[in-house]
Amino acid sequence: MRAVWRAARAAVRRRGLQTLVIALVTLTSGAAMVIALGLLDAASAPFDKVFGAQRGPHVVAVFDPAKASGERLERAARQPGVEAAGPFRQATVELPDDAMRFGLGAQITVVGRADPGGPVDRPDLWAGRWATRPGEVVLNRQSDWAPDDLGKRLPVRPGGPSLTVVGFAFDLSGTADAWVAPGQIDALRPTAAQLLLRFPDASSESALRAGLETVTETLPDGSLTASRSYLALKHQVSSSARAYTPYLMAFGILGVVVAVLIIVNVVSGAVISGFRQIGVLRALGFTPWQVVGVHLAWISVPAVLGSALGTAVGNAVARPFFGSVFTGPDAGVLHDSVSVSGRVNAVTLIGLPAVCLLAALAPTLRVHRMPAARAISAGSAPRAGRALRLQRRLAGSALPRPVSLGMGLPFARPGRSALTLAAVVLGVTTVTFATGLATTMDRFGGAGRDAYQVTVYASRFDDGREIQPRHPDRELHALLAGLPDATEVTARADVEVRLVGSAHPVILEGRRGDRLSLGDVLTAGRWMRGDDEIVAGSAFLRRNGVRVGDRITLEKGGQRRTMRVVGEVMQNNARVVVTGWPALHALAPDEKPIAYHVRLRDGADPAAYARAARAADTGVSPAPRGPDNLTRTIVGSATALTLMLALVSALGVFNTVVLNTRDRRRDLGTLKSMGMTPGQVTVMTVTSMAVLGVLGSLLGIPLGVAGYELVVPRMADAVDITLPAFMTDVWHAPALAALALAGVAIAVAGALVPARRAGRLTIAEVLRGE
Amino acid sequence: MVTEDSGNEVVVRLDGVRKEYGETTALAGVSLEVRAGEAVAVMGPSGCGKSTLLNMIAGLDRPTGGSVVVHGENVGECDEKRLALYRRHRIGMIFQFFNLIDDLSALDNVALAAQLTGTPARQARRRALELLDELGVAGRRNAHPAVLSGGERQRVAVARALMNRPALLLADEPTGALDSRAGEQVMDLLLDLNQIGQTLILVTHDARLARRCAGRLIQLADGRVTGEQTLEVTA
Repeated sequence: MRAVWRAARAAVRRRGLQTLVIALVTLTSGAAMVIALGLLDAASAPFDKVFGAQRGPHVVAVFDPAKASGERLERAARQPGVEAAGPFRQATVELPDDAMRFGLGAQITVVGRADPGGPVDRPDLWAGRWATRPGEVVLNRQSDWAPDDLGKRLPVRPGGPSLTVVGFAFDLSGTADAWVAPGQIDALRPTAAQLLLRFPDASSESALRAGLETVTETLPDGSLTASRSYLALKHQVSSSARAYTPYLMAFGILGVVVAVLIIVNVVSGAVISGFRQIGVLRALGFTPWQVVGVHLAWISVPAVLGSALGTAVGNAVARPFFGSVFTGPDAGVLHDSVSVSGRVNAVTLIGLPAVCLLAALAPTLRVHRMPAARAISAGSAPRAGRALRLQRRLAGSALPRPVSLGMGLPFARPGRSALTLAAVVLGVTTVTFATGLATTMDRFGGAGRDAYQVTVYASRFDDGREIQPRHPDRELHALLAGLPDATEVTARADVEVRLVGSAHPVILEGRRGDRLSLGDVLTAGRWMRGDDEIVAGSAFLRRNGVRVGDRITLEKGGQRRTMRVVGEVMQNNARVVVTGWPALHALAPDEKPIAYHVRLRDGADPAAYARAARAADTGVSPAPRGPDNLTRTIVGSATALTLMLALVSALGVFNTVVLNTRDRRRDLGTLKSMGMTPGQVTVMTVTSMAVLGVLGSLLGIPLGVAGYELVVPRMADAVDITLPAFMTDVWHAPALAALALAGVAIAVAGALVPARRAGRLTIAEVLRGE
Repeated sequence: MVTEDSGNEVVVRLDGVRKEYGETTALAGVSLEVRAGEAVAVMGPSGCGKSTLLNMIAGLDRPTGGSVVVHGENVGECDEKRLALYRRHRIGMIFQFFNLIDDLSALDNVALAAQLTGTPARQARRRALELLDELGVAGRRNAHPAVLSGGERQRVAVARALMNRPALLLADEPTGALDSRAGEQVMDLLLDLNQIGQTLILVTHDARLARRCAGRLIQLADGRVTGEQTLEVTA
């Protein structure tokens, strides 16, 4: 055993470059694998993960406390297999019109609860602390809400207590908009009590109904006033994650496959190139199994080191990367859990060295059965030439000889070349897919970005109080249009209406001014021309079974108006329809704009305009348009992942050239002795890989395009939008020509360094070795 | 056979050439001259520096001291590219183990030497075929090295060395890997070449080869020239 370990250590020292390459490849592959598996892990069932982490209730049941006391509810919930939290007293509270509502709406549900723990429903307290004293409140907000709002007041009407925000917690199940201490809830006049229930079988609505019946069967009739199952919430919440999932899955699978492929190539190549050494060990008296042991021990050193470092690097990269990709619960990650799961790390740490050892085992076992003399002669005996007909044709071509020699090299080692080609193909596939995706996302994010640069909100909050503009609507509109650099101003108002024949509320958005489209992208039909015309998003049309050309009737406060859908826009909010100002005014005569969207002349400074608008009317709140985060995230992450996978592919090429150079040292020495210059050796070696690069492009581009056609429509479907043709029409000749260079670029990048090294080989040393 | 006193120009001049590999001294100040048309054999025990000396002259390695001047060019001062051109145009090398490219046919192995100089493929192949024919292996032109006999391989290697009509032919143990019959054939070949004026430097262990092919014998031991004698041609 000691002899085996000593020989393995000697192999590490003697074959330092190969050991380093294996360590580098496992490091990079390990990092790529951690991120890829992390993506796959995060992209699968994000709702279930957050819901599970929060022990979300399968049913939120609301009871009339006059009919069922707290003690009775508690007893009723004690059923076999049922987990319950509560009952918690619940109040519906109105927030004043002029109050800062923290984005919660006019009417909120406040629950009295002593702490966020318990067997069911554990809100994620991401800022501040829980409300424990009277006068304190915790708001249900996602972690992208500004924690600066801690300490601000939440006024309650009529005559209610003034509450101070002491914490922000996120509860995916939405059991409350805000929580107060149990001692505070009485002052808010609770009207209901909620029980939060988890059942052993929560697979369907009928199972949940049956579970709820076991809880309520001993309670008086009519005590259950409302109930909500988690299944509807699951469908609603998962839609955003569904947009990410196909793309993350594609990158994740590509990452794992590339990593494994490269490792198999590198390790098996390293073992095969050491056949002679195996023969020498056998001649020295090592048993066949000891020889296998030496090789496995040698490979395990860089494999374990590389995998460990790669896992660490992968985790370090994944944290900020996942933080930017998964910004919220829709993607399945809470604010404090943006990291790679333990099982992903375990799979990488164990799986990667295992792949390395398996890749080493196959060729080592081959030599294990080989006579020692044959193994020793491997590499020095003349090989039967391969692809001679092709070589002859190349030799007779008009190409410079180093180029034609290089073109023939991949066919001398077809197995190794095939594995390298596969890595290049996957690299090109990734680049192609990511380029298509980034182009579409860039067009998606850029669509309508020039429609306006500043949004001027028609109110401002100061210490929880809403301040109105000093100028009336029309005057304010004219004032904003008259400020320096403004070229167009479009006012917008939202009003909640009812779609006759549907239970879902609808937001009717009325627009007035210079640009009614406001940057929305029309995917079918046209924009409004008459008073009774609307356009709607694909999500709205699908949900309500409406098509362009149909008529729908909207109702508000007894007023009804029938309108014709004249266009479909790229909009995934299923509640919104857009119309002109007269139609909105007819349904809601008192409604005023909530915002004015201002387009500036080219080159103008949005921040300067915002300052001017604020100075012109202190009651407005101007906000320059921010960057498109979703687009930036997807494009940024796709670029990062592509670069990483292209780097891994290039490392595969690097390794192949290192092995080829090692195997062909004698040929290289001979060629140099015949007068081949170092530059010609470099050209020959790079050409040998560029051939694989060209083939890689030819195969990888169609695969990348196919991946795009598979993934992008699913992403669009997942968020209920129809992408217009100009966004998906991304495969043009110049783009494809540029992509054709991707394979060559990967191959040349990987080959250049070892090729230059090959060019500098000292002939005398190489030939002396013979 | 051209000898030292024939009055021909000096093709190779080594002056105090030293070569050290770390602590090991391979050549410890070798000085010698070779004139055009001469056939010089270098002999000595293993490790005496014979191959190192040949590598210095071929421009395959650089001296750590002294100068190697071939055809007026100081080989030790050339950059890599200039050395490559020097090897391409001035030198023909024959190796003990032939060093043919396994993936190329015999014909393409020979033609390769000319193609590296920019000679078009068709022209290079025509000349290669002529040489193979002269050396008696034209019938094996499409075979790859693995299926050739040792003698055939060495004759292909000689053809390759002669492809660019080098001023200087260097042979490192050219019969060392051959059986006696094949060795004899290669000896005849080298002798014939020298007799038509080819300058030849031969490194060998084989005294018979040296006596048969060379007109002058240089003895090397411990990296130094320890003796020199003019030989009678035995052929």
